[in-house]
Amino acid sequence: MARRNRIVPILFILPSLLFLGIFIYMPLIQNFYNSFFDFSVFSPTKEFVGFSAFEQLFGDKIVMTALINNIKYAIISVVFQVAFALVLATILEDKLFRRIAPMLRVVYFIPVMISISVIALLFNFIYNPQMGLLNSFLELIGLGNLAVPWLGNATTSIYAVIAMSQWQSIGFITMLFIVAIQKIPKELYEAADIDGAGKIRQFFSITVPQVKETLFVNMLITITGSMLVFNEPYILTNGGPGTSSMTMSVYMYQQGFFKDNMGYASAVATLIFVVTAIFALIQIKVSGTGKDE
Amino acid sequence: MKKTLFFSILLLLLSTMLGACSSGEKQNASADGKTEIDFFHRWPNEPRKSFYDEKIKEYMEQNPDVHINVDYVLNDAYKEKIRVLVSSDKLPDIFTAWSDSFAENLVSSERIMPLNDVIKEDEEWSSKIIDSQFGGFTFDDTTYGVPFTVDGKAFFYNKAIFEEHNIAVPKTYDELIAALDQLQDAGYKEPLVEGLTNTWAISHYLGTIFERVVDPAVLEKDYNAETAEFTDQGYVQGLEIFEELTGYMGEVSTAIDHEAARNMFAAGEVPVLYMQFAEIKMVEEAGDVEFGFFDFPEVEGAKGDPTALTGAPEGWMVSKNAPEETIDFLKFLTSEETAADFTKTDGQLNAIEGAVTEENVNPASLEAYELITNATSTAPWFDNAVNINVADVFMRGGQSLATGQTTPEDILKEAQQEAQNQK
Repeated sequence: MARRNRIVPILFILPSLLFLGIFIYMPLIQNFYNSFFDFSVFSPTKEFVGFSAFEQLFGDKIVMTALINNIKYAIISVVFQVAFALVLATILEDKLFRRIAPMLRVVYFIPVMISISVIALLFNFIYNPQMGLLNSFLELIGLGNLAVPWLGNATTSIYAVIAMSQWQSIGFITMLFIVAIQKIPKELYEAADIDGAGKIRQFFSITVPQVKETLFVNMLITITGSMLVFNEPYILTNGGPGTSSMTMSVYMYQQGFFKDNMGYASAVATLIFVVTAIFALIQIKVSGTGKDE
Repeated sequence: MKKTLFFSILLLLLSTMLGACSSGEKQNASADGKTEIDFFHRWPNEPRKSFYDEKIKEYMEQNPDVHINVDYVLNDAYKEKIRVLVSSDKLPDIFTAWSDSFAENLVSSERIMPLNDVIKEDEEWSSKIIDSQFGGFTFDDTTYGVPFTVDGKAFFYNKAIFEEHNIAVPKTYDELIAALDQLQDAGYKEPLVEGLTNTWAISHYLGTIFERVVDPAVLEKDYNAETAEFTDQGYVQGLEIFEELTGYMGEVSTAIDHEAARNMFAAGEVPVLYMQFAEIKMVEEAGDVEFGFFDFPEVEGAKGDPTALTGAPEGWMVSKNAPEETIDFLKFLTSEETAADFTKTDGQLNAIEGAVTEENVNPASLEAYELITNATSTAPWFDNAVNINVADVFMRGGQSLATGQTTPEDILKEAQQEAQNQK
C-alpha cells in the first residue's frame, strides 16, 4: 500500500513533466546547442564555430540598442502598468465608484481581449502622420508643432510602441489587482476609518501590504514580458526606422528568418533567456516569495 | 482501476509520439484518390488572387484527377514563410520565387527540382519563354525556375503637374534635383514621396544608384559574396545621392509604406514616384492621373552604367518531391494563353512571347515592355543581388540616413565589416 502511494502521484504528474520536457526544456537545450554552429535554414550541414557567435554578440551595437529598448520597455511598464494599475484598481474598488465600477472595468478590460494585430493596425491609424488621430488631435488643441511622424521618427518610435502596449495591457493588470483587493477584509478599512485615516494613508498602510503577493506577480509578468516583447514592435515598426525601435526578440527573429543566421539567432535567444532569468531570480530573491509570511 | 489509468496514460503518450513521427511524411494523394498539388503564391491582394483562383478552378476542371491546394501571403511575410517551409522540409510543390540570390538560397537547400530536362523535352512550350529571363534562375548551368513576370523600375511623373510648372523630363541627375527643387518651391512639400518603412523600397533605390555611380567591374566583384569588399568610394557617393533624395521625400516617408506612397501619387498629391512597371495598373485603378515615366537619370561624371535597367523577373519553382502532375500545372501557368489573360487582368508584363500585345495592355505598359526586353543590361534588385546581411546594412542604413541618424561613411564601414563576416 505504501509503495503504491508513492507511485500514484508520480503517475499523475508524469504527463505534464513529459510535455514540459519535450516542449520547454528540450528546445531550450537544443537552442543553446545550436548557438555553437553556423548554419542557415537552407544549408543541409552545420558548421561548428564554438563561442564565436557569443563573441560577435557582445560587440554587436544593435544588440545593445535592443537591450536598452527592452529595459526602457520594462521601466515604463512597471511604472505605468503596475503602479498606475494598482491606483486604478483601488479607485475602482472604492465605495465612491461602486456604481460605475463594473462599467469602467469592462472599458479597461476590452483592449486586453482584442488581438494584437488588430490593435497594431488601429494604432497605425492613430500614429499616421497625415491623417492620424493623434496628430489631428494635437492640431485641434493648438499643439500642432508637437506633431511628428511618431513611428517614423527615430527618437519617438520606441515610445510610440511602448505606449500602445501600456494601453493594451493595463486592463489585465488592473483586473488582477481588483481580485486581490476584493480579498482584503473590510474590517481593516472600517477600523482605519474609525481611527481617522485618510484614503491615501489607507492605500499605503492597508492596500499595498495586503496585495504584496499580487504586486510581485504583476511585476514579474511585466518585466519578463518586456524582455520578451515581440509582436508590438514587429508589427508596428519592424524595429525601424534604422534600429531605433529594435527589441531583442525582433532582432532574434530577423537574424533567424530574414537573414538566415540561425546560429547567431540562437545565441541572441540564449542571451534573452539569461537576461530574463536573471531578472526573475532577482525578483524572487528580493520579494522573498514562496516563504510563508 | 489504477491499471486502466496507467495504460490510458501510456496509450496517450504513445499515440502522441506516433502522431509526431508520421507527420513528417508528406502525402500527395487525398482520400478520394486525387493527386494533390500544394501551390503557394504571394498575392493575397486583388486582382491576382482571384486570377489564380480562377485558373486553379479551370485547371481542376480540365484535370479532374488533380486537386490543387492554394495558399498565399504577402511579400515580406512570403519571404519569411518560404524560408521556414524550406527548413522544415514542408516545401510546397510549386511556388513563387524571386530570381538571383533569393532563388540561389532556395536552391542551396537541395530541395528544388532542376528543370533542364523539362525545358529540353517540351520545346513547344519552353521556346516561348524569353530566353534572357532564365538567367536569374540558372546556377552552374542548371535552371531551377521558370520566369513569368518581367519588371523594371523607373521614375513615374504626373504629366499635368510637370506641364503646369513647365518642367521638362530630367535627363541627368542634376536636372532631376532642379525639377524637384522647382516642385518644392511650387508648394509640393514632398515631391518625391516613398514608403521607407518597406526596406525593399530603399534597396531598389540604392541598387539603381549604385549601378549609376559605381564602376560595373567593382559592382560585379562586390556582388559576389566571396570577393565582396565594398571599399569603393562610389558607394559613399551613392549613399549621399540617396540622402539628398530623402530630403525631397518629407518627414512622412519613414512612417508610411510604399502602398501609401503609391496612393498619394495616384491621388495627384505627389508629382514623382520611383515605382515598378508592375504597379502601373494599380495606379490607374487607384486614381485618375495621367503619368509618364523615365529611367533613373545619368549621374554626370560618375563611373557607373548610365542605362542599366533595374528589374528582375519572378517565376515559379518546383519542389524536388513534387508529384509529376506539377510540371503539367507549371506549363499551364506559363502558357501563352494564361500569360495573355494574366496581363490583361493584372496589367503586369510577362516573359512569355506573344502574350503582351496592344490588345491586353495600355500604351504605357507596352512602352515599358519594350524598354525591358530591349535594355542593354538588367540589374537584379539590390537585396537579391548581394548577401542579405550586407543588403540589410544598406537598407537599415538608408532608413537611418533618412532620419539623420547616421552618415554614408558609417554605413559603408559597417557594410565592409559585414562583407568580411560573410566570408
